[in-house]
Amino acid sequence: MPTLRPTHPEVPSVVPAGQLRRLSPDDIKPSTNNPRLLFDPPLLAELKKNIAEHGVLVPITVYQPKGQAKFSILDGERRYRCVVDLTNEGHVGKDGRHLRIPANIVEPPSVIAGLLYMFSIHNFRADWELMPTALSLKIVMEQLEVTDNLALSKLTGLSERQIERCKSLLTFPERFQKLSLDPDPTTRIPSNFWIEALPVLDLAMDKAENVKKLGRNPATEKLVEKYRDGKIKSVIHFRRIMEAHDLAEDDAPQQAKVVRRIDQFFLNPKLETRAAFDEFVVEKKRVQSAIGACDTFIAQLRKFKLTYTTDDEERNNLREALRRVRDYCDSLEQALVGSDDPEAKHN
Amino acid sequence: MWQFFQSLRAALRFHDYNPQPVSIASANRWMNQFDEEDRRLAWELLGKVIYLSEQDTKKILLHQNRVLMANLAKAGLSSRKLIYLQTDDAGSSSPMMLGMLRNAAGLEQQGCKMLDGRDSLGINNTTKKLEEGAIIYVDDFVGTGDQFCKSRAFATQSVVGSFSEFLLVPSICEEGYARLADLGVTVYAGHIHAKAERPLHEHSHLMQGPARERLIAICKQIRPKVGLGYENLATMVVLYRNAPNSIPAILRGSDKQAPFYGLFPRFKDLPVKKS
Repeated sequence: MPTLRPTHPEVPSVVPAGQLRRLSPDDIKPSTNNPRLLFDPPLLAELKKNIAEHGVLVPITVYQPKGQAKFSILDGERRYRCVVDLTNEGHVGKDGRHLRIPANIVEPPSVIAGLLYMFSIHNFRADWELMPTALSLKIVMEQLEVTDNLALSKLTGLSERQIERCKSLLTFPERFQKLSLDPDPTTRIPSNFWIEALPVLDLAMDKAENVKKLGRNPATEKLVEKYRDGKIKSVIHFRRIMEAHDLAEDDAPQQAKVVRRIDQFFLNPKLETRAAFDEFVVEKKRVQSAIGACDTFIAQLRKFKLTYTTDDEERNNLREALRRVRDYCDSLEQALVGSDDPEAKHN
Repeated sequence: MWQFFQSLRAALRFHDYNPQPVSIASANRWMNQFDEEDRRLAWELLGKVIYLSEQDTKKILLHQNRVLMANLAKAGLSSRKLIYLQTDDAGSSSPMMLGMLRNAAGLEQQGCKMLDGRDSLGINNTTKKLEEGAIIYVDDFVGTGDQFCKSRAFATQSVVGSFSEFLLVPSICEEGYARLADLGVTVYAGHIHAKAERPLHEHSHLMQGPARERLIAICKQIRPKVGLGYENLATMVVLYRNAPNSIPAILRGSDKQAPFYGLFPRFKDLPVKKS
């Protein structure tokens, strides 16, 4: 039998912070995220070309977690990736040696500093899972005591809409959040499910008597069961419930009927979303009318030849009116964004 | 007589193999599938198996863990800052190893945290609370590291704060060791399984010429696609609780153990018993 050869790696002594050192790429620990998803390839290629010609000019920032042999990156992941690529391609510096990376060694960052760095990386990644992002955002909000969307957007680089969506996720109890953190994409409840279900739950808890009696968490469970049973075929279909309710805004008997249907929808596991609410919405005709209205609006404005407007007051009034149109269009366009998680189970 | 002694040796050495204990009868059954010429080759290959019994496995894990904890204490991390992570479903190798280590080393009594790598909220809450420390993955065997890297990628997305990463494992292939070193995960292993120790691996010289060719041909006959195991690793480490999927088919046998009976079938290779 061959001899067993044990390993006893040495744990390095802690390197004092505040040093500038030239590190080999082997001394540095890469981020756990896939760089191909993290960074824009053309920008990375440009940086790589620059480093191939001049080396790394701006030091990266690294720290050494206690007990770890390698340095973790706090700032400079892209420079590091370029050097790794160049080294693998056999590139050497002007001195004929492998490229080294100047690095400022600092103390391990606080939780919040590390998180903000990770946010700066993840912003490059469009398909970043929303629930882990929401959990990180929660820590930022708690530790910095910031809840304003604009301020959070500046801190994290997330859009205000993304922040709003994360906040929606955080309103659900942890046991529901866990369902979106399932490693198996076929059983995972997509984050969009909670975001789309939230206004429906709010509405039902406010107006549907039987749902109120049931309680918020059991009502949420009912929705999860319906989704898993294929009775909510797409998370987008939650919008039909809201639409049915909003369309009946000025018609009390019709609205009462919608609310009764919401009660039934929650309590009857077999009732499918479209089967329950399609009778209250005539979407196709409305959407076609709206598309027609957009085309007419643009054609009408073109006809007026407004670019020749010279009067200052008239120009300002027109600009103000156009701004109102643009703001409304932007908000409407944003509200229409949304899809099912591509990895989620489709029934 | 020669065959009897070889079978006796196998039964003594591999008696605690969990999926299907090795006995004189089962070793004979395995051997009788070969013709006279191949029989000696098969025994020669069996002699190169690196078997880790339950006792060996426990001893290695405990020893490596002791060394790791001592090193981490020197680096300023007390046991309260250590998170032990299982990387797989309950009932599979990682939770089994962690359970064994937890009980034998009294990890919980020392204040260490035990988590499931798929419990994102648990990882997030615990790392947030600790702020710094070490994450120690525990498993029984690592081949290429594919499976480990996938589980690790999922677990680390919920880690916040400054944490170093370690893997405690009784045995790891040199391929997986190199990959984990690149990723900055420090491995504490009882054994690094070199390619040279695997007679049927293309970079090994333990067996050469027609003998080696013949054994490879038998393996490919038993399992045409994975005759030499996952990714052609042709590993020779067998752990008492289950053989890795990277062992040659001649040792593992056919699916459902028919037509070829293996000495070290994996649990999932065994035929379903009729009730």
